[in-house]
Amino acid sequence: MKEFQVNGTTSLSLALFTDVTNSRLVNNFFLLIARQLLDSVQTGKLEPEVALLNASLVPDVFPVLAAAHKALLSKSRESLTTRTLHSELIYNYSGSKHISESLKRCGISDDTTYVLAARFAASQDEMKDVAELINGKEVDLAELETKANLTHILKHYKITPEELAISSLSDAIVCRIAARDAL
Amino acid sequence: MARSVVEREQQHCRSSTASNEGDASSAPPSFLCVESSLGARGGKWLIGHSARAVWPVVESEQQGWCRLGVAAVPSCRRLVEGRMSSVFCNMDMDIQGVENEAFGFLVKQGAEARVFKSTFVGHLSIVKERFSKKYRHPLLDSKLTVKRLNMEVRCMTKARRLGVPTPVLYAVDPILHTLTFEYVDGLSVKEILLDFGLNGIVEEQLDDIAIQIGTAMGKMHDGGLIHGDLTTSNMIIRGETNQLVLIDFGLSFTSTLPEDKAVDLYVLERALLSMHSSCGNVMEKILSAYRKSSKQWSSTMNKLAQVRQRGRKRTMVG
Repeated sequence: MKEFQVNGTTSLSLALFTDVTNSRLVNNFFLLIARQLLDSVQTGKLEPEVALLNASLVPDVFPVLAAAHKALLSKSRESLTTRTLHSELIYNYSGSKHISESLKRCGISDDTTYVLAARFAASQDEMKDVAELINGKEVDLAELETKANLTHILKHYKITPEELAISSLSDAIVCRIAARDAL
Repeated sequence: MARSVVEREQQHCRSSTASNEGDASSAPPSFLCVESSLGARGGKWLIGHSARAVWPVVESEQQGWCRLGVAAVPSCRRLVEGRMSSVFCNMDMDIQGVENEAFGFLVKQGAEARVFKSTFVGHLSIVKERFSKKYRHPLLDSKLTVKRLNMEVRCMTKARRLGVPTPVLYAVDPILHTLTFEYVDGLSVKEILLDFGLNGIVEEQLDDIAIQIGTAMGKMHDGGLIHGDLTTSNMIIRGETNQLVLIDFGLSFTSTLPEDKAVDLYVLERALLSMHSSCGNVMEKILSAYRKSSKQWSSTMNKLAQVRQRGRKRTMVG
């Protein structure tokens, strides 16, 4: 687990898990939460929130931070595209405008075993809760680079070999995240 | 020569502010905005087109004198290192402090935008803010600005996809009209060529730069992208890798017409002729690299010959 300062006030905590066995359960759990969300919003207490990214599409933390920066900015202007700040992080990371497709590809599905958990302004205890929820082995964030699935990334972000020759993979992704709304 | 520029500068500052010396000694500011007042040629290089620059104060001395860390201004670091280590300036001179705390400190100001140096989640960054024009209707102004902002982003990312190195785009803000880029650490081609003019040409480096420019333009033009403002100050040589990075896509557009490509080349040719005639025929080297990398070079070259005869603008008679 590691904490990054995204802007002056808010931090983003990241934790990386391999060999996750209960993606299906976690997924269902979140579906359950989603159903309860309406109630909890009304009663004023939100369930613990976390964004779970498909880590094989993440070659470096920097694109995640750029997406987080963007999400926080739209949150502060109350112009979130998706329902919550954490889903906005996944949506931004995908670099596409298609929300459900983004969540499907960059979020986790039933058979995902390699997960990156991200949570805004989280305390140590809150991140421990996340680690308990996910049934897997926590590894260092430095593993991201070696474990990333290059072919999936190139296909998803449509990165040409010409572009890869002049810049790093994470820089190319950051460009797509930043430029999405301008295209 | 180095001494004389500094001395002239000191003299200028003293004489211009001699009247109100004394009251500047209290609370030295951490940043100063200095109007261009260096000696003739020195001033032109150091501050360039914009008449002012914000420099961090390195140390302040008695009687209102302070030393400005000119080396912190990226575009003129080399010239300063070569010739003088600091510029002295009276603190009375037009103190504005940091122009805009939200964006970092001002590096350059142009007609359309201001450029700030800042940080973005732990990375050094450059923020380009397209400010609003007060003479336009607010609605029209914001529409135009956002449109140009988006155009710049599109062209820049397109250039990257074509394999032309550009700074990494970190963020786009359509509300504040800002773009955040990677901070490219290095000298502009303009500074390098001017340095060649003064201290003699390093043949290998010049060839390398010319080939990189030609190849980049060939790739861009084949992909149907016109830069629109190709000058040597819009090219940076990245310090550690010697990679050429093209900046400022504010005037670029997409076109496949040989006419537009030829004008693009012609603008660069004129810029090279007027600024860097002492470097020999750089354009010849650039064009030979262009011919190698571009597939449609022959139509562009034919058009270029025509453009050379009539100039950049087409006469629309008849």
